[in-house]
Amino acid sequence: MVERHGTAETIAASPHSRPGIVVALAALLVLVMTSAVLVGAYPVSPGELIGTLGRFVGGAPRAGQIDTVLLEVRFPRIGAAALAGASLAAAGATYQGLFRNPLVSPDILGVSTGAGLGAVLGIFLSLPVAAIQALAFFGGLATVALVYVVAAAVREREPTLVLVLSGVVIGSLTGAAIALLKVLADPYDQLPAITFWLLGSLASIRKHDVLLAMPLVLLGLMPLVLLRWRINVMSLGDEEAKALGLEAGRLRMIIIAAATLVTSSVVAISGVIGWVGLVIPHIARMLVGPNFDRLLPASMLLGATYMVLVDTLARTIARVETPLGILTAIIGAPFFLWLLARGRRGWE
Amino acid sequence: MRRLLIGLAALLPSIAMAGEIIDSAGRRVAIPDRIEKVFAAGGPASILLYVLAPELMTGWPRRPREEEKPFIASPYRDLPEVGMLTGRGGSANLETVIRVKPDVILDFGSVKETYVSLANATQQQIGIPYLLIDGRFEATAASLRLLGAALGKSERAEQLALYVEAQLTAVDAAIAQVPATRRPRVYLARGPDGLETGVAGSINTEIIERAGGRNVVEATEGQRGLVRASIEQVIVANPDAIITWDRGFYERAGHDPLWREVKAVREGRLYLSPTAPFGWIDRPPSVNRIMGLVWLAGIFYPQQFPKDLRDQVREFYKVFYQVTPDDKELDGLIAWSKGTAPPRR
Amino acid sequence: MSGLPAAMAARGLAIGYPGKEVGRDIDIEVRPGEVLCLLGPNGSGKTTLFKTLLGLIPARAGEVRFGDAQLGELSRAAVAQRVSYVPQAHAAHFPFLVADMVTMGRTAHLGLFDRPTREDRERARAALAELGIGALADTEYTRISGGQRQLVLIARALAQDAPVIVLDEPTASLDFGNQVLVLQRVRQLAEQGLAVVLSTHDPDHALGIASRVAFLNDGRLIATGSPREVLTSERLETVYGVGVRIVTLPGGQTLCAPDLGSARRLST
Repeated sequence: MVERHGTAETIAASPHSRPGIVVALAALLVLVMTSAVLVGAYPVSPGELIGTLGRFVGGAPRAGQIDTVLLEVRFPRIGAAALAGASLAAAGATYQGLFRNPLVSPDILGVSTGAGLGAVLGIFLSLPVAAIQALAFFGGLATVALVYVVAAAVREREPTLVLVLSGVVIGSLTGAAIALLKVLADPYDQLPAITFWLLGSLASIRKHDVLLAMPLVLLGLMPLVLLRWRINVMSLGDEEAKALGLEAGRLRMIIIAAATLVTSSVVAISGVIGWVGLVIPHIARMLVGPNFDRLLPASMLLGATYMVLVDTLARTIARVETPLGILTAIIGAPFFLWLLARGRRGWE
Repeated sequence: MRRLLIGLAALLPSIAMAGEIIDSAGRRVAIPDRIEKVFAAGGPASILLYVLAPELMTGWPRRPREEEKPFIASPYRDLPEVGMLTGRGGSANLETVIRVKPDVILDFGSVKETYVSLANATQQQIGIPYLLIDGRFEATAASLRLLGAALGKSERAEQLALYVEAQLTAVDAAIAQVPATRRPRVYLARGPDGLETGVAGSINTEIIERAGGRNVVEATEGQRGLVRASIEQVIVANPDAIITWDRGFYERAGHDPLWREVKAVREGRLYLSPTAPFGWIDRPPSVNRIMGLVWLAGIFYPQQFPKDLRDQVREFYKVFYQVTPDDKELDGLIAWSKGTAPPRR
Repeated sequence: MSGLPAAMAARGLAIGYPGKEVGRDIDIEVRPGEVLCLLGPNGSGKTTLFKTLLGLIPARAGEVRFGDAQLGELSRAAVAQRVSYVPQAHAAHFPFLVADMVTMGRTAHLGLFDRPTREDRERARAALAELGIGALADTEYTRISGGQRQLVLIARALAQDAPVIVLDEPTASLDFGNQVLVLQRVRQLAEQGLAVVLSTHDPDHALGIASRVAFLNDGRLIATGSPREVLTSERLETVYGVGVRIVTLPGGQTLCAPDLGSARRLST
């Protein structure tokens, strides 16, 4: 009944016909995470790793510093990197679909600058780390909520355009507030801490950070996973989505809330990490096509892999930490240009 | 514009009777014979000016906090906030400077090309002589003398310079007896999580190194100043002593299981630096660091420096800050340096 | 056929946006098996009327009914189960497979968290086959021609399984051959029992496939009825301001011949 002719070449070149690719990405992530566990300032051999894991699984008491380093420092940190990468990529893929724009990143509605303002305020007030994280988390949520409310108050025919514009405006106001706090901050004490926070880092990640962020991220990812078919339909635009039977406005609100929760949760513990949410969904789209069914898992796996790799670089290329934001930009920006120049972009 | 012209006009007579001085950057700067007001361009300069000639001050870059005020002589502790002219987060505007009508602008710190051009441009624009003084710790005595000569306060400058040189000589002599491998390995913990630090040789840690500590964060290619470290790197570096001035970090690190993996914390060698009226080891990097030199030398080499910290604090505050802390205030500072900071006000 | 109840009917409809009325007093209806052709010049309010019929913008007055159900009381999914929409062939932002694109037509039949089932995907492939483009199923939507895209969007509407299908200028921006192809397919849809509403600029298309024509000018219906009744040369001249002749070919087909300069020169 279905004719198949003359498209063999297209099919061969099509990313849609590679079902094994998500499995391959998952395997790659496991490989990269395992390798990452074995490198770092504290020397760990594969045998020692197995020993530690054995004691951990068997519930045996800890045997010295190596167990502490692996279980309290390295595992949580690699876990946090994977969590942050997966979250930012998932939010990026979602927003690119929702806003029908491949140049959109999870920051488009101001979640990162909002979180940044929260954290900077915390540093300015010399609050403890947990309070800085909490302020960052709620700063991100509050900023996006404000953007949403402002956009909803503007009655316009193109709701996504209004959202993006109010995101730009409020993001720039938030940026101004950050700049003001930087000027007021003690230049010899608080200013460096602010600068480092805004560059992103997983250097101070603890187990409880991951355990705190994880449920929030999962809570945010759940609607995205469950609504993945509807996110496809949303990427056709408001009118078509409505005509195809979606309550587009309500759905958009749920998706934005979910993506914001995901991003805010990781930004609160990692600081601002750019480029991941922009570049990774592109690569994922080139590999598996735009169908969110496959795009979401592929983006998350790729994002996690990329972030673990970059964070491993961040903690090993020098004797001290290299800020993540610098590495992700140095790697991400040229790669993105290369994608643009290469023509096949996964979007039109 | 009108105000600018009036400002310039007001300056003309003093310029007319100018002398000349060569500053640390080698710039020839014409300065008036009688100097009554000096504008300090930033935190380090304001402290240098305060210890040398507080009566010439026009204000503070940042208003002193309540906990700092008892250690700054009256009436200078109540001078207004005038902002910063250079460096990070410059917040003073040139019109403010012109309104204050200083005879000289003073900057204390880097004398690299950036600051030279900045100084030249400002001097040209508003017609007020702009002095650049070398802020490296090594140069402290020379810088005191240079500024003393420029401001006509040579006698006071000499007194301070001799004190500095005496301290440096004493420390040098003591350290000389200790082989490099026996010197304590030290980590400077900054920021709320203690994972911000300075690399060896940076302005932020030079006082630690000068006091005979070895900074565990060695500089790699292309890195200077402040960097971030991870707790894993600190555990591996395993310093003998950790210095911080962040009270929150100090309180948490003591009973944090991961920081307790570090020898310094386990052995109770995590030290909290007082920051009143100015930081003992940095914040900002100015002559206030001489107090840190004395304190750290006592921490690192208790045998060589058996003198009571309390006496040394009293002496330093008297000589440099021209205040005589009462017993209660002294107790507070000593307790602070032993880890009990006063409540934040 | 006129004995059947209307599949979609609008009564006393006023259309427009907040603060701006585009048209009013619009009564139209379409029955199963009919092609209702909405004709009108640019700016006459065709698109606004369509959006109102689909419930994308609220009616300023009047009502739209699908059988017993009133548009304003239906959920989006319930509306989509009653009327499907074919937008003008657009450049998609993402290269979805044609099969995925058509399967999106099934969304109104899926639960909130459901993904399309095998049956949904088969329905989509059947819709493609019905329109003779089954071979495109595994091609990316961004890589096919404008005519093919229009057919894919029609297939998506078919897969939606709604009794009414609304097409917004389906022949605009297509070449001559594709225009004819699309019109043929549209007529077949009506022959299969769908109620079809389409808008067009071209009186010939209305004359060619419409059961009834609604002529919209400046937001008002100036005439409704059979194509021959509505599309008179006088009316076309009034609305468009150009000379037009209605010609019947020997085979019975009626065409609209505009009076171009060359024709006048020939006649003299």
